Amino acid sequence: MFDSSFQEPLLTPTEGNRHPWRPATEESPLVRRILIAVAVLGLAVLVVAPLGVVFAEALAKGAGAAIASLASPDALSAIKLTLLVAGISVPVNAVFGVAAAWTITKFDFRGKAFLITLIDLPFSISPVVAGLALVLLFGANSLIGGWLVAQGFPIIFALPGIVLASVFVTFPFVARELIPVMIEQGRTEEEAALTLGASGWRVFRTVTLPNIKWALLYGVLLCNARAMGEFGAVAVVSGKIRGQTATMPITIEMMYNEYLSVAAFTLAAVLALLGLLTLALKTLLEWRHADQLSAIRRH
Amino acid sequence: MALSLRIQKSPMPGFRLGMGITLAMLSLIVILPVGALLAKGASYGLSGIWGTVNTPRVWAALYLSFRLSFFAALFNLVFGTLLAWVLARYEFPGRRLIDALVDLPFALPTAVAGIALTTLYAPNGVFGSVFKSLGIKIAYTEWGILIALIFVGLPFVTRTVQPVIDEIEREVEEASATLGAGRLYTMRRVILPALAPAALTGFALSLARAVGEYGSVIFIAGNLPLKTEIAPLLIVIKLEEFDYNGAAAIGLAMLLISFTMLLVINLIQIWSRRRIGHV
Amino acid sequence: MHIEIDEIAKEFGATTALKPVSLAIPSGALVALLGPSGSGKTTLLRILGGLEFPTSGRVLFDGQDATGMTVQERRAGFVFQSYALFKHMTVFENIAYGLRARPRATRPPEAEIQRRVSKLLDLIQLPQIATRFPSQLSGGQRQRVALARALAIEPRMLLLDEPFGALDAQVRKELRQGLREIHDTTGLTTVFVTHDQDEAMELADLVVVMSMGRIEQVGRPQDIRARPATAFVRQFIEA
Repeated sequence: MFDSSFQEPLLTPTEGNRHPWRPATEESPLVRRILIAVAVLGLAVLVVAPLGVVFAEALAKGAGAAIASLASPDALSAIKLTLLVAGISVPVNAVFGVAAAWTITKFDFRGKAFLITLIDLPFSISPVVAGLALVLLFGANSLIGGWLVAQGFPIIFALPGIVLASVFVTFPFVARELIPVMIEQGRTEEEAALTLGASGWRVFRTVTLPNIKWALLYGVLLCNARAMGEFGAVAVVSGKIRGQTATMPITIEMMYNEYLSVAAFTLAAVLALLGLLTLALKTLLEWRHADQLSAIRRH
Repeated sequence: MALSLRIQKSPMPGFRLGMGITLAMLSLIVILPVGALLAKGASYGLSGIWGTVNTPRVWAALYLSFRLSFFAALFNLVFGTLLAWVLARYEFPGRRLIDALVDLPFALPTAVAGIALTTLYAPNGVFGSVFKSLGIKIAYTEWGILIALIFVGLPFVTRTVQPVIDEIEREVEEASATLGAGRLYTMRRVILPALAPAALTGFALSLARAVGEYGSVIFIAGNLPLKTEIAPLLIVIKLEEFDYNGAAAIGLAMLLISFTMLLVINLIQIWSRRRIGHV
Repeated sequence: MHIEIDEIAKEFGATTALKPVSLAIPSGALVALLGPSGSGKTTLLRILGGLEFPTSGRVLFDGQDATGMTVQERRAGFVFQSYALFKHMTVFENIAYGLRARPRATRPPEAEIQRRVSKLLDLIQLPQIATRFPSQLSGGQRQRVALARALAIEPRMLLLDEPFGALDAQVRKELRQGLREIHDTTGLTTVFVTHDQDEAMELADLVVVMSMGRIEQVGRPQDIRARPATAFVRQFIEA
């Protein structure tokens, strides 16, 4: 092994500093600069430019025209409907997410992995297919749907369908954020509280909830942004009835197709602002409560 | 329910309530609708499904959707990994802002992204006019669809790879250097293989998202049958024609292809995890 | 190879890791850098390996200034405390890594690489494990693979950072002997870092006792035992 047949010639270092010394785990400054430039430029073209266009088009005829377009009956009813849908589906998902995370992390039972897979399922199903599934189950032609329509309680082409579709596409959001955090925190604190005589509800309220509140808020934020912005699933189940079942994204589509550019982009800008606000709050949460939220990123 | 009978005795309260809410919601929102879709498929029969799917228009749509989704996910694999590296390893002004902006495609509603991308890449748009002068048409062609699919899947790879970069031991990189490897060789042989499983997860998520994407694509796609018509749009068209059997058949075909792809990717991952051991 | 450390100092921001220290390591010696954590011993080892750059001072290899040499140029076989094995490569690929990383002109042919790796596996007395992955090895086996990987590049010196730190007492004793044997076979100038005075005294030809970024005493084990130069050394070797 220590024969010299393939010995590399000893490199003789020249005196002094030929190039500035650089740690073995770093790229050269030139490579760094190129990579940073590619990243920043790529993100600017792919992500920032579309965002900029939304605001530029909304304000193309001045702020006055933009604000006036928001006061149209179509826009107002869309905003109301979207707020109503989010107002129902987000709390529903929050309750579900907490219940599912509690069940999954505080107890051991067979079939847990399967349950988690089912909860994650909506992430891998196209929103359009989700809407289709709801139409097949609750549509006027179906067994359940036909009966419900006869009772004067239609689901499809009505508010309940839009809510169901919104809950479907945001279904895993809250549970997904909570499960890793609750796994990391374990069960000992709750067990300690129980030995001290606290009731189950009290344990949840005074021990668990404070430990997960930032993760819960994080999940609720993501859930809300998605619920307000959902298009594909809602497009299928809502019937796009103007002034009745047209949510903000659906109304944006209608206005855009009718060449009402300012109106469409103003409504889009409202949703974009909501998205930016969500991002800002999310970043702030990640920053302030890194300890609690770090578990989410690792899983 | 079989699930609840198997529980080990636990002093922790709330199992019945938690499991009750979970299963009730899961049934109403996920299991029943997806079950209805599968039941529809079953009643329609294999030959019925095949009859619907086996038309040039449906094949063209499925092929377009999966092909472009694959290329978009591939682009995101490369660019997303680069982005993750830059954000995890380099300190530069605006790094935090860039880090936050990566999630923008998740936060921006798809319809908003759709009309914005269309305006940007239309022949008279800011980017579209540049491409037009080069003789390239982006909006209302496959290129436009590709750009929309890249947009919606952009954050996945970065967000799965970034934490893995944070966890790479510096000593492993140093070991490579002490053994005589240059930085590029270390990158290729040590760092990228360590990132591969996470990058593959991100790729799969990006792919799944792109295949099912509707809102951001339909505006920019042009939606010409046999040319720029994506599979989800075909479902919507069938539904609008009240052809529920046809819509269900295409929906099932999409589900089947997606799950097969995800299964293959999962198998590759299990195989690579087993090789590397517990990472 | 003869190593000379000439007035090396190292600061990390406001903290001083090494006050200017000087040390001559004769060719072929087995040297222990002994001290408590924070004494600067690992920093000194990393400066020798080219993983840190000194704030001031020079390192000389065989009388030539090597301070500005890159890690790659130094060809120092470095064994890390965590071993830093490549998890996604087999034992064989780990050991062959340094040879395959060479530029084509100096890269040995594949048959030669095979021959060398199997020779090294014999040397560390683990001829059967070539196709295993690091996750399938015991701690002691990992340490020996890391050693073989460092030896594969035909290093000019061997640098080991707490090579036995992560092992239990029984394995530690066995591997100490193993390191001694490998040193004697190869004749390489070898420097290892340890906080365990038994280990340093039993294994090394020359012990360098360090504390707070300073060298307290340099000498043969028996001399240090017989005549500790400072109160710190007396206390530390009696502990």
